[in-house]
Amino acid sequence: MKSIAQNAPGKTVLLMGNEAIARGAIEAGVRVCAAYPGNPSSEIIGTLAKVAEEMNLHVEWSVNEKVALEVAAAASFAGLRGLCAMKQNGLNVASDFLLNLNLTGCRGGLVLVVADDPAGVSSSNEEDSRIFAKMGDLPLMEPANFQEAKEMTKWAFKISEELGLPVLIRSVTRVSHARGNVLLDELPQSSPKPRFDSSRALTAFPALPNHKILHERFNRAKKVFEESAFNFYRGPEKPELMVVTCGSGWMYSLETAINLNVQDRVGILKLGTTWPLPENLIIKHLKRTDRILFIEEVDPFLENNVKEIYAQNCLGLGLKAFFGKTSKHVPDVGELNPEIVNHAIQNLINISYEPRPTEYALRVHEAAAELVPARPLGFCAGCPHRATYWAIKVALTLDGRDGFVLGDIGCYSLGMGPSGFGQMKTLHAMGSGTGLACGLGQLDRFGLEQPVIAVCGDSTFYHAAMPALANAYYNGANFLLLLLDNSATAMTGFQPHPGTGSTATGKEAPVIDLKAICKVFGARVEIVDPFDVTATVEILLKLLQEEKGVKVLILKRECALVSAKHQKRLYEVEVDQKRCLGETCGCNRLCTRIFKCPGLMWDESAGKAHIDEAICTGCGVCAEICPASAIRKEAA
Amino acid sequence: MGTGEKVNRGLKALEEKVFGRNLCAFCGACLSLCPYLRSWKGRVVKLDDCNLEEGRCFAYCPRTEIDLDGLYQGLFKKSDEEIEMGPIKKIMMARAKNPIFTKKAQTGGVVSALMDFALREKIIQAGILTPRDGDLLPHGRIIKGRKEILRCAGSSYVSGPTLEALNRGPWKGEDRIGVVGLPCQVLALARMKTSKLEKKTPIDRVSLVIGLFCTWALDYGPFTAFLCERMGGHSIKKLNITPPPERMLEATAGNESYRIPVDDIRPFIRPSCQVCLDMTAELSDISVGTVEGKEGWNTVVIRTAVGGSLLKRAKDAGVIETRPLPKANLNHLKDASLLKKRRALDALDEKGGIEKAYFSLTANLIKRILSEAKGIKT
Repeated sequence: MKSIAQNAPGKTVLLMGNEAIARGAIEAGVRVCAAYPGNPSSEIIGTLAKVAEEMNLHVEWSVNEKVALEVAAAASFAGLRGLCAMKQNGLNVASDFLLNLNLTGCRGGLVLVVADDPAGVSSSNEEDSRIFAKMGDLPLMEPANFQEAKEMTKWAFKISEELGLPVLIRSVTRVSHARGNVLLDELPQSSPKPRFDSSRALTAFPALPNHKILHERFNRAKKVFEESAFNFYRGPEKPELMVVTCGSGWMYSLETAINLNVQDRVGILKLGTTWPLPENLIIKHLKRTDRILFIEEVDPFLENNVKEIYAQNCLGLGLKAFFGKTSKHVPDVGELNPEIVNHAIQNLINISYEPRPTEYALRVHEAAAELVPARPLGFCAGCPHRATYWAIKVALTLDGRDGFVLGDIGCYSLGMGPSGFGQMKTLHAMGSGTGLACGLGQLDRFGLEQPVIAVCGDSTFYHAAMPALANAYYNGANFLLLLLDNSATAMTGFQPHPGTGSTATGKEAPVIDLKAICKVFGARVEIVDPFDVTATVEILLKLLQEEKGVKVLILKRECALVSAKHQKRLYEVEVDQKRCLGETCGCNRLCTRIFKCPGLMWDESAGKAHIDEAICTGCGVCAEICPASAIRKEAA
Repeated sequence: MGTGEKVNRGLKALEEKVFGRNLCAFCGACLSLCPYLRSWKGRVVKLDDCNLEEGRCFAYCPRTEIDLDGLYQGLFKKSDEEIEMGPIKKIMMARAKNPIFTKKAQTGGVVSALMDFALREKIIQAGILTPRDGDLLPHGRIIKGRKEILRCAGSSYVSGPTLEALNRGPWKGEDRIGVVGLPCQVLALARMKTSKLEKKTPIDRVSLVIGLFCTWALDYGPFTAFLCERMGGHSIKKLNITPPPERMLEATAGNESYRIPVDDIRPFIRPSCQVCLDMTAELSDISVGTVEGKEGWNTVVIRTAVGGSLLKRAKDAGVIETRPLPKANLNHLKDASLLKKRRALDALDEKGGIEKAYFSLTANLIKRILSEAKGIKT
């Protein structure tokens, strides 16, 4: 059942945080939703896409976050409500538009959800997106649970319309990806007819009067937030220690206070509107105690801003001691958890309580280590990227000039690790491999003798690498761009993109041909199937030897997880046990020691390799690399 | 080692002792045995680490821990007493009678004629020879007929991984193979033949080894880069070194002819050749080289019964004709061979001592080489 779209006010449903945000948007009457996928934000638009037709929404996967925000803002300009979602890195991309949009303001409610990934579990970086709210004088909210995720989203649209400003909602992984009960409200029955008011231009220029208007709106937001029910205090009148927290920190703090049984000693000021901060509310609660601990994900955002409020008002507040990331009572990197909060609070109120003995954790680790094989992050069985990196490794080694691979973001980022044979040497932003290649591809005139290769996925290419390719041709850079075209935005959950032939809502779409684009950009373009390892090595070597210019090699092979859904396996693969050389001279376990596809197993007692039939996808690449031709593939 | 630690005699050691010291002869003996080594543009390239303690790559290499005395014992049932140029059953001048072989040949066409004869007489079913690609890069190839043999005639002065073709095959049935190789390749074949490692190589099929005289070979990469620069990027069509005393490298590239003094290309001699003791392919069945001052003739050294029988049959069949080698030529050849040995020993001495060389030879033999080579004019 599509619980997200049901009109069942009063009903409680189990929703993932991202689904709750999507539901909040639906309850608010959103019409246009756009995003570029990125964990932990992807399910917001993914969920809305599923009900788009039924709820009469426009939902799209845009080519990148800036365009997504522009699409959602456009709806707002026409008086509709628009939602945009992204991960923290996405906001960096969208920030150029955002930091002009704040000055023009918006019309219909516009909500931008940014899901941060503390510890960078599925990101290239660890970043706190909240700083953008401060930079742009924009209202910011942080839901602490699933109900709040829905309510806050709904409220954010209202606030946005009232203030004429986009409102940011900052989620984190443990809010976005956990599930909890959510009480539904009714769905709106009507929506305004869109109309772009052409009587007033929307422009940030001239900046000064617009900046002044922004500050006025910001001050109005401050007033509204002072009264918000999302901010509250729980605890004794005069606590020994007051925790100031937001987002996932609220649950961790509450759990700790209960577990330690210190609810009569420790108070919690939970803030839901974190920019602008409700200054009066904060001053009121600061009076309760002179010891304050900040619990929040990633950067000391509350911590520094509350200190700023205190500094401005300290005459009436007396001396205070602030604890948190700055004082090292809370780690200043990585994700929070109840144990960290527990530890910080214990330290500050001088109690000793061990929820579990330290050596217990060690014992669990030891016991688990015996049962659970160590598995480094790696490509799936049958992943075309493994074959691609294998070919790159062979070609660059043979070439012998210490060539290197500049990469960016996608499944193929794992090319930095063992399953990509450590081939990828740089990882920054979307499309940065190609951009860096534009620079390194100019250094031959200063004596750089190493061949330069950039890798870029298909979705990433549309997202951010196209300008870099245009730049390469225009400025005469020399490098080889490998477009790893697996026909999916695989890392974030197989969302479609301009090259896949369908839209977010499953409608047929024109395919924007990678080869044609690259040719227009002046590159010489070749296409190869990475599963044909020999041909791939050969063409890589050929392109590496060629002297100058931008060359593009498209490595075309659908993501194994996508093809598993709609086509039968290519090959039945088996290892001829008589032919398998195992660990002897002539092979020494090339397939399980170096190539390491998870579909291959090493039978230690027999000293032979096997195919794990449950995992093997039948790509047949291992048959090509087996030196003894012991791995046999037959068309399935 | 004393610590109980096992001495590595696998790829790890090959990397350290051969590739690391730039001693690879590029003979091809280690290629197509495993997935870790591959040849590319005149180099053996290691693709991945192999952690085996013992490997055929190390065991067959002509530049790793060779017990030369043991090798001569194993092949000829006698020690390396004939120190000048290895065991000689018979030595003579010879040339092919059919002009088809002499026309393209560097000298007398004996090697081509003998291979052709051996194939026709079904003494062997396949030969391993070394043709060149258009870009001068030599490589091993399995050949079965005259046309292919003729394509391999002449010299490119660049070493190539001939033995890779032997290792790679494919071989079937009872096919017997004849290999034509440089001294380093002949040495590698001898190591394969006497290796105690489990054999998964076709060495047992090799029933004829024809060795080529060799003073040095050039390193493909730097040499072609040099030529390319000299010849303004034109691809080289033909290479030839004129006989002494002139010794000029003649090259045709584009529509131009170039003449380069041999001294100019000496820097591109493979470092491996500088420590090579063998000018006349001493471990072959039959060795073939030039005869100084006798254009159109080869020097032929019969070393084994196999070599002797082949030559006799070829001569009886009118494929080749022979003449005695003049005494002066023999003496000159012995001197040249001894000189190569002495130079190699000197080079090794400079590089850290003969005792640390890639071979072991009795102190007595080393002493004899050094003393007998003393008087030779260089």
